[in-house]
Amino acid sequence: MSTLTEAQKQSSAMSNVQEKKLYINPLPVRVWHWINALGFVILILTGVQIRYPGLFNIMTFETAVKTHNWVAFTVIGNYFFYLAFYLFSDKITVYQPELNVKKFFDKAFRQILYYSYGIFRGEEKPHKVLPHDKFNPLQSITYQIVILLLMPIQMATGIMMWDVKRFAVPIEMLGGIRNVDTVHVLIFIFFVSFTMVHAYMGALGHTPSAHFKEMFTGYEED
Amino acid sequence: MMVGSLVGSLAEGFKIKLPVLMVFIGCMVLSNELLSQDTADVEASAAQVPVSATGSQPGGEQTSVDVTSRHEEVLKSNNKCLRCHKREKTKLMENGEEMSLQVHGESYINSAHGQILCTSCHESIGNRKHPSSSTNITVNNQRDYSLELNESCRQCHRTKYTEYKGSIHAALIAQGNTKAPLCSDCHNAHAVESMADYQAETGQPCSRCHVNIFNAYASSVHGQARMNGNTIRDSHIQSPICSDCHKSHQVTALAIGDVLRTTCINCHENVTLLHSQWLPNSGTHLDIVSCAVCHAPFAKRRYDLHLFDNQTQEPVEGNELLQEQLQAIVDEGVPGDPMEIWKSRGGIEREVTDISLRSRMEVMSGIAAHQIANKSFAVRTCDSCHEPNSRQSQNVTVSFTQADGRRQSVEADREILSTIMPVNSISDFYALGGNPNKFLDYLLLLALFAGVAIPIAHFSMGRFIREKKAKGEE
Repeated sequence: MSTLTEAQKQSSAMSNVQEKKLYINPLPVRVWHWINALGFVILILTGVQIRYPGLFNIMTFETAVKTHNWVAFTVIGNYFFYLAFYLFSDKITVYQPELNVKKFFDKAFRQILYYSYGIFRGEEKPHKVLPHDKFNPLQSITYQIVILLLMPIQMATGIMMWDVKRFAVPIEMLGGIRNVDTVHVLIFIFFVSFTMVHAYMGALGHTPSAHFKEMFTGYEED
Repeated sequence: MMVGSLVGSLAEGFKIKLPVLMVFIGCMVLSNELLSQDTADVEASAAQVPVSATGSQPGGEQTSVDVTSRHEEVLKSNNKCLRCHKREKTKLMENGEEMSLQVHGESYINSAHGQILCTSCHESIGNRKHPSSSTNITVNNQRDYSLELNESCRQCHRTKYTEYKGSIHAALIAQGNTKAPLCSDCHNAHAVESMADYQAETGQPCSRCHVNIFNAYASSVHGQARMNGNTIRDSHIQSPICSDCHKSHQVTALAIGDVLRTTCINCHENVTLLHSQWLPNSGTHLDIVSCAVCHAPFAKRRYDLHLFDNQTQEPVEGNELLQEQLQAIVDEGVPGDPMEIWKSRGGIEREVTDISLRSRMEVMSGIAAHQIANKSFAVRTCDSCHEPNSRQSQNVTVSFTQADGRRQSVEADREILSTIMPVNSISDFYALGGNPNKFLDYLLLLALFAGVAIPIAHFSMGRFIREKKAKGEE
């Protein structure tokens, strides 16, 4: 090894870097993610203000409702931008569900073991991140539920409450405005936990800031 | 001949006397306007030929003579009555009180009925059948006598009378109310006056009974503008008086369904647009929030849950029994949804799903509903309805519609707005923030706890494992 020239060393280091850095998150996904993240924070804060006007005084009720509406429509628009990107991109494979139940549970169990034990002992990740298969089984099932089920329900119930007169028929079909509101609040409650745990798990990379950098640069560094 | 027989039968039908009939024919020939009026109004014209008619009838020399002679005849006949009745005479009624029989001749002659025969109204006391000591008529009390005579107004003022019959006043009378006004209570019995010249300063005749409401109106933006002679928004529309909103004969209580909003929008026609420019869900707000809730800024407010029939899509029409039952529920101090309790008590005979509670935000009283302030004072702080603590001072009532169209409310426990139980019965009503579901509040606390606890637990576990590993390696 000591006989290697300086140029050879450099070239070896370069190829290592090239091997380790994978372009996982293309620009549209990163833009979508950060608009969504900011949107979620504002929606949660304004949502809390709307629901508990006596408890918090971050802003007036009127401002809270108007901000909530505007940001919500931005997040909805952003959602369709994201959807369009994945529908017209070969990256859609990242959301391909594991249809073999045994295989899925097997992989998920290994992932749970990793999160609860292996990660602290510096063990190797059970799921290898690839541009076309970036999610581990737990991420995959969570994001499928959040993005393909909960977000559309949240958007639909939100839109209904934005103009209850215009959407009187679907509201009636769902059993009244209280039911619609209850569903919206239940999902909101889940998103509060989700956002907090999501941010924490973002810090579980090989360095605490690794995944955050990754969401800005697009490159996975593991 | 045809016309003659038609007029003849009309005359017979309406018991018009011959001189009156002649005047009627004269007017009919000369005035096209009269031809277009309905039978009742034609009859009215015949019975109350105005004094000015002599001057205004074109080329009607014969008519002038007829009218004058008719006036003379009426005066002559009425003077016969006044000869005795101008004196302070009284009649003992069955209830032991005395009824004045005195008529101030001058005020009668100068009244709107000055040209009408006394016997046109007092039909039962014609010349030949005037009560005497031998043929005395009995009168229970003055109210009964007024009620009996009230019918005579219909002879000439049929349209107005029909309108009056559809009013809240007539409905109250039908229910046996002894204070609700008859025609003569507003227009006077003998010094009959048209109410076209409304007295904005005194609010007569409405303020005679509704004095507190009139005072509230008088100090409101509407009353002030009217007294100052202002017109609204530089247009020709004058600020409203009582009858502009409540109608003059078909007097309506506005707290029924959509009537109030429709009445306000009649003048404030761009209300929907103006509210939609800033108020989220403005359509719903305009539907369920009474205008005065925001526009009478100092008024006390209440949630009014009214019983709604889902089958007929109309408010439930209740009776005294219903009120008693609801009142009993409240008196027993049973917390919770009155619908649920009412159901369990068998108060609803039909399928329970057919009736629900729908809600409106209302002001506490009719007085408050009239204290409308200038637009710049209107409440625009959403918190005053959407904040639970501000709600504490606001009341909750359960109401139903009475047969006369008015709402009857029973105060209820405000807990019903935030318990889970009434989800079914008041599913249509929800004020954001105003009545949060407590179960969801606890769930949110749990979610926040999980959001903090899971990372801390995971982080601590990691530290523990790392330390253990480090010790093992040592």
